[in-house]
Amino acid sequence: MNRSIDPITTEIIRNAFISIAQDMNAVLIRSAYTPVIYEGKDCVVALLDEKGNVLGQSSGLPLFLGNLEICVKETANIHGWDYFKKGDIFFVNDSYFTGTHLNDITIFAPIFHENTLVGFSASRAHWLDVGAKDPGGSMDSTNIYQEGFRWPPTRLYENGSPRTEIIEFLKINGRFGYSLEGDMNAQIAAGKTGEKRFIDTIKRFGIENVKLARDEIFRQTEELERQSVMQLKDGEYFAEGYLDNDGVGLDPVLIKMKVVVKGESIHIDLDGSSPQTNGPVNCGFAQTISACRVAFKLLINPKRPVDGGTFKTFTVEAPEGSIFKAQTPAACQWYFSSLGLVIDAFVKALSPVIKDASAAAHYGDSMVIFIGGVDPRNNVPFLSVEPTCGGWGGFNQFDGADGLINNVNGGFKDIPVEVFEGKYPVTIHNYGFRTDSGGAGKYRGGCGLYREYTVNADGFCSLWFERSVTTAWGLFGGKDGVGPNVKIEYPDGRIENKLKANGQVITKGTVITTFTGGGGGFENPFERDVNRVLLDYQNNYVSIEGAANDYGVVIENSTVNMEKTQALRNSRNS
Amino acid sequence: MSNSYRVSADIGGTFTDIVIEDLNKKELKNVKVLSTPENPANAVVEGLKKTININEIDFIVHGTTVGLNAFLERKGSKVLLLMTKGVSDSFIISRGDRKELYNVQYKKQKLLISRSDVVNIEERLNWSGEILKELNYQDLDLAIEKIEAENIPAIAICFIHSYVNPIHEIEAKKYLQSKLKNEVEISLSHELAREWREHERASTAIMNSYIGPVINKYLRSLKSQLGEGGYSKQLYIMQSNGGIIRAETAIEQPVKTLLSGPVGGTIGGVALSNAISRKNLVCVDMGGTSFDMSLIIDGKPSITNETELEHLPLLIPLVDIHTIGAGGGSLTWLENNAIRVGPQSAGANPGPACYGKGGEYPTVTDANLFLGRLGKDSKLGGWMQLDVDASEKALTRISKEISMNNIDLAEGIISIINAKMADAIRTITVKKGIDPRDFSLVSFGGAGSMHAVAIAEELEMNEVIVPNNPGTFSAWGMLQTDIRKDLSVNFFNAFSSVSLDDLKKQFELLKAEAIQLLEIENVEKRDMSFFFNADMRYIGQEYYVNISIGENDSMETINKNFHETYLKQYGHSTPSGPLEFINIRLIAEGFIPKGNIAAQKQTANELVKSDQRNVVFKGESHTCPVYERTTLPVKKEIHGPCIIEEETSTTVIPPSYFFFLDDFNNLFIQRKK
Repeated sequence: MNRSIDPITTEIIRNAFISIAQDMNAVLIRSAYTPVIYEGKDCVVALLDEKGNVLGQSSGLPLFLGNLEICVKETANIHGWDYFKKGDIFFVNDSYFTGTHLNDITIFAPIFHENTLVGFSASRAHWLDVGAKDPGGSMDSTNIYQEGFRWPPTRLYENGSPRTEIIEFLKINGRFGYSLEGDMNAQIAAGKTGEKRFIDTIKRFGIENVKLARDEIFRQTEELERQSVMQLKDGEYFAEGYLDNDGVGLDPVLIKMKVVVKGESIHIDLDGSSPQTNGPVNCGFAQTISACRVAFKLLINPKRPVDGGTFKTFTVEAPEGSIFKAQTPAACQWYFSSLGLVIDAFVKALSPVIKDASAAAHYGDSMVIFIGGVDPRNNVPFLSVEPTCGGWGGFNQFDGADGLINNVNGGFKDIPVEVFEGKYPVTIHNYGFRTDSGGAGKYRGGCGLYREYTVNADGFCSLWFERSVTTAWGLFGGKDGVGPNVKIEYPDGRIENKLKANGQVITKGTVITTFTGGGGGFENPFERDVNRVLLDYQNNYVSIEGAANDYGVVIENSTVNMEKTQALRNSRNS
Repeated sequence: MSNSYRVSADIGGTFTDIVIEDLNKKELKNVKVLSTPENPANAVVEGLKKTININEIDFIVHGTTVGLNAFLERKGSKVLLLMTKGVSDSFIISRGDRKELYNVQYKKQKLLISRSDVVNIEERLNWSGEILKELNYQDLDLAIEKIEAENIPAIAICFIHSYVNPIHEIEAKKYLQSKLKNEVEISLSHELAREWREHERASTAIMNSYIGPVINKYLRSLKSQLGEGGYSKQLYIMQSNGGIIRAETAIEQPVKTLLSGPVGGTIGGVALSNAISRKNLVCVDMGGTSFDMSLIIDGKPSITNETELEHLPLLIPLVDIHTIGAGGGSLTWLENNAIRVGPQSAGANPGPACYGKGGEYPTVTDANLFLGRLGKDSKLGGWMQLDVDASEKALTRISKEISMNNIDLAEGIISIINAKMADAIRTITVKKGIDPRDFSLVSFGGAGSMHAVAIAEELEMNEVIVPNNPGTFSAWGMLQTDIRKDLSVNFFNAFSSVSLDDLKKQFELLKAEAIQLLEIENVEKRDMSFFFNADMRYIGQEYYVNISIGENDSMETINKNFHETYLKQYGHSTPSGPLEFINIRLIAEGFIPKGNIAAQKQTANELVKSDQRNVVFKGESHTCPVYERTTLPVKKEIHGPCIIEEETSTTVIPPSYFFFLDDFNNLFIQRKK
C-alpha cells in the first residue's frame, strides 16, 4: 500500500473529484439550449489528469462512458502533449476519431496551474443540427459527407479568446445556429467550472499530493476490479444477434461476440460481426470500446465511480473495416443501434456464470421518431425528435421494467402529452402499455408502449425503429419479447406499417402510431406465481388469453381457476 | 392581569419542540417533550399544559411531519386516479427515465397507486383549452361504482390540459360529490398546480389525496384537544413554502404542508437574517443520519416550485432544502483498505458505538466523543451517558486494519465528513451561481455545531452563527412568518408577443383571486402584500429562471432582468436571444402581528468555565475550557480552543477562532485576526 499519502487525504480528494464532475454536469445540463441535452441528457462531462486519465466523470448518457479521455489522448498522440496551451479550448466531432456520430460535439480544454499542464476539462453533448442533408440528421445516409460538418480537433478558443470565424462557420452550417451557440457556451461553462474547482483543489492540497492521491485512487479501483473479475469462471462465452438492416438495404446485420474470461482479465472479440455497411449503422472504434465498457460496468462493480483505474484489465477487439471499426467514408449517424445489442449480448454471454446478476434482453434501441413541418398556429417550422421507451428484461426475483428508456440512453424523460401538444401541432390521443408484449417468464419482461400522434400539419416524419429480427431474448427458459412496429394511417385511407423512414411526406390528419417492443422473460413462465399472473391481468399487462397461453393460468370471473390451471400447466409442461 | 402567549410547536419524529412567547413578560420559553407518534397532538397539548394555561394562548402555529411520515412509511389512504381516457397510462409510465445508469436490473420508482387504480374517463381538451370531447358521465358512474364497492376514501382527478381550462375537473368533482354516499377526499390537479405536465400534476394530486385523510384526522384531533384546553382561536400550520395557513385551509390542500416540519429552520434563518443584518446565509442542520442545507439570499429563502420525494414529483412551492446522507451516525467502513465514511448510518438503533446498544463500527459521533469534542454527558442521543471506551473499541476495529492510530483516524473521519458536507454546499451554490464566501453559515439542530467551523473554513466563509436555542430554532422560526399563498397560471407565450398590458391583466386576475383567498384567512386588506414573478427562458429551453417583476417594471426592464439573472446563474447569457414565458406566479402574503420578543440579554460579566477537558485538534491535544452557554458574558471576544455546551447541542471553537455573544444570545464565530 502506498504510504506516502494518508488514506484520509486520499478519500477527501477522491470525493472532490466526483463532486467536481457533478458540478460540471449540473452547469451543462441546466444551461444547455436543446432538449436533447437537458431532457435527453445526451451528454457527458469529465475531469481528466495531465495525461488524459479520468479523475471524475458524470454522465447523462451511459454510452459515452470512458470516451472523453480517448479524444484527449488521441489528440496528444497526433500533436504531442506540448500542443496544449493556456487559454485553448478544443472541439472535435469526427466520427472515426470520437467513435460517435457527427452531432456529438466533444469540447475539451487543458488546465494549467502555474504554467504547468495539470489536467483537462472535457464534455460532450449532442447538438441538434450539424448541417446534414436532412434536418437533425438522416436515416438513410450512405457516407459521412451527407451527415454534416466533420472536424478534427480544432481550437475554438486561443489565448482565452474565441475564434469568431470558426464559431460563425459552425453557426451558418447548422440549421439552428442560435441553439448551437447556446449549447457550445453551456459546454464551455461546464469546463470552466471544472477548471476552477480543480485549481482550488490543487491549491489546497498541493499538486504533489493530488497526484499521489490520484495514483492511490486508481490503484484501489484497479484492485477491486481485478478481484471481481477473478471471481468469474474462466472460459469463452458467446452471444450474437441481428440488427434488422442498415437503414438502407434489407439484409439483417450480424453482431457476433466472444467473451474470454481469464484470471483477472476480460477480453471481448467482435470478430465475425458484419463488415461496415452502406447504411449509417457504423461506428468508430472509440465508441465500440465505450459500449463494451458500459456492458462491463453493468456487471462489474456498477456502483464504483469510473476513474483512471477502471477497465485496466478489460480489452476489446473488432475487425478493421467492420461496423465496429468503421473507416472513411462509412456513414455513422445511427452508430448506437448496434451498440445497444452489444451490451445485451455481453450480459447474455456471461449469464451462465453470473445468473443472479444477469437479466434478459431489453427492447433494444432508442426507437426514434422525428415529426417536422410548419406549425399552422404561428407559421414557424417545428421539428420534434423523440426516442421512445419500451420493456426491459426480467431478472432473478423481479419482472423487467415496463416502459423504460433503452440502455444506451440515460436520464431521458418522455415528452408529456401536454407539452408535446403545446409545442407542436400534434395531438396525442393514445399513449400506453402494450398488453402481452413482455416476454413471458417466471419473471416476465416489461411491456412495450404505444403512442399515437395525430399530425395537424403538412410535413414529414422519419423513423428509426429496430430489433424486429432479434427481439428481446428471454433467458433460462423465459420467452422473447414482442417486437416493434409503426403504423402510418394517411387521411386518404392508406395504411403503411414500417420501421424505418426518412423524410416520409405526410399530410395534415395523418395518424402515426409507434409500438415499441417488450423485454425478454426470465425462467420458465409456467413456474410463475399464479397470483402475479392474476395481478398482471388486473393491471392489464397480460390479457386473459396471454395468461392461459403464455403462463398456463386460467382466469375466470377475475379469479384464478386453480384446477384448470394445474391441468393446463401439467399438460403443457409434459 | 391575565397572561398572553404566542406559541409554536415543531413536531418531529423523536422530540416535539415548543416555543412560547410570553407577551406580557416579554420572555421566551422553550419546552422539549418526547413526541407521541400514535397521536402527535398529545405531545403538544401535554407540553403546553405543563408550562402555561392553554386558554391564555392568543396564537398557535405548528409544523409537523405527520404527512411526510405517512408517505415515507407508505401508510396513507388508498387512492383512485381518474384520468383522461387514452393517455391515462402516462401517469404509470412515469416519463420512462432511469435514475441509475449502470443497472441491468433496474426497478422503477414505487408509485402510490397501481395501474388498476387508474380509471379512464372519456373527455378531452386541446392545448388551448377548447373542448374536443365532452365529459362522459357514464364513465364517472363506473368510477362511482368502483369507489363504493371498494370503499375507496380518496380520489385524485387529472385531466389533460386542465391547467388551461379546468371545466371538466370541476364538473367531475361536482358530479361525484352529488352521487357519492360517503364523504370522499377529492383532489383536483389544477387546484394544486396550474402547470403543464400531466404525470407531475397527477402525482401531486395523488399525494394530496394519499395523505389527506391522515392529516385531516390529525388536525381535527389537535384542534379538538386544544379546544378542550380552552383555546378557541385559529390554529395555524406551517406550509412547505415557508408561510403559514389556517388548519381549515390545510385540510383542503394537505400536500402543501408535506414538508412543514423541516422548513421551520430556514424560516428561522430568515428572521435571524433580518435581526442581525446578515443578508446571505447558508443554513445547515446536521442530525443523526442526514445533513440538510438551505440558502437565504438577500434576506429571502430560496424557494423552488417543484421537487421530488423518493422520485415522485410534486408541483408545490417549497423552501429549497437539500439533503445528503451525512450525520452523527454516518458509519466508517473499509473498502479494499481505503476509508469511507457514510452514507450508511447507524441510525438511532443501534446508533453510534458510544450509545452502548451494539454499534460495532465507528461513527462520526464516536470520533467526536473520542477526540473530546463531544462531552460524555451530552444529550445528543437521548438521556443516556455516552461510552468513550465503546467508541475507542470501534475505532480500533478500523485503525488496526490500516495501521493508523485512533486519534488520526478519528480526526480523519471528521475531515472526510466535513469535506463531503462542504462539497454538498458548494454544489448547491454552484447551481445557483453564487459564491459561498459571501455567506455566513448558520448551524442549528443537534450535531452541526461541532462541524460548522471546519465546514466554513473549507468554503472560505467568514463566519459561523449558532443562534439562540439552536435546539428549538425551527419552532422559533414558525413564529416569525406570515400567511402565504402561491398562485400560478400557465402562460406559454413568446416574450415578443406579450405586451405590458397583457401581463398586467394576468396579474390582476391572479391578484383578485389571491385577495379572495386571503380574505378566507381573515386577512385585512391593509395587511395584504403581493409579489409578482414569472418563469421565463430562452425559446427552446426546458429549465426556466424565475424573475421577480416589480409593479412599475417595463417590458424592457423585465427583459434586462432576465438576462442578468441568467448570467448570474449560468455564467453566460445571450442578450439578443428571444425569450418566452411559461408560468406567471403571484406570492400573496397576509401579515401576522409578531411578538417581537428577543431573547433575554445574558447578564454574566465574567467568563466562568464549567469544566475542562482534553480536545484534539490537528493531532495535538489541547486543554480546553468548557463553557455553559447560558453563563456566557455578552459582547466579549473569547478565544478558542474551547467548547460551548447547551442542552442538546455542542459547539466546537478550534484554536485559530474566537467567538462572541450578541445581545440576543446569538453566537458568532470568526477566524482570529
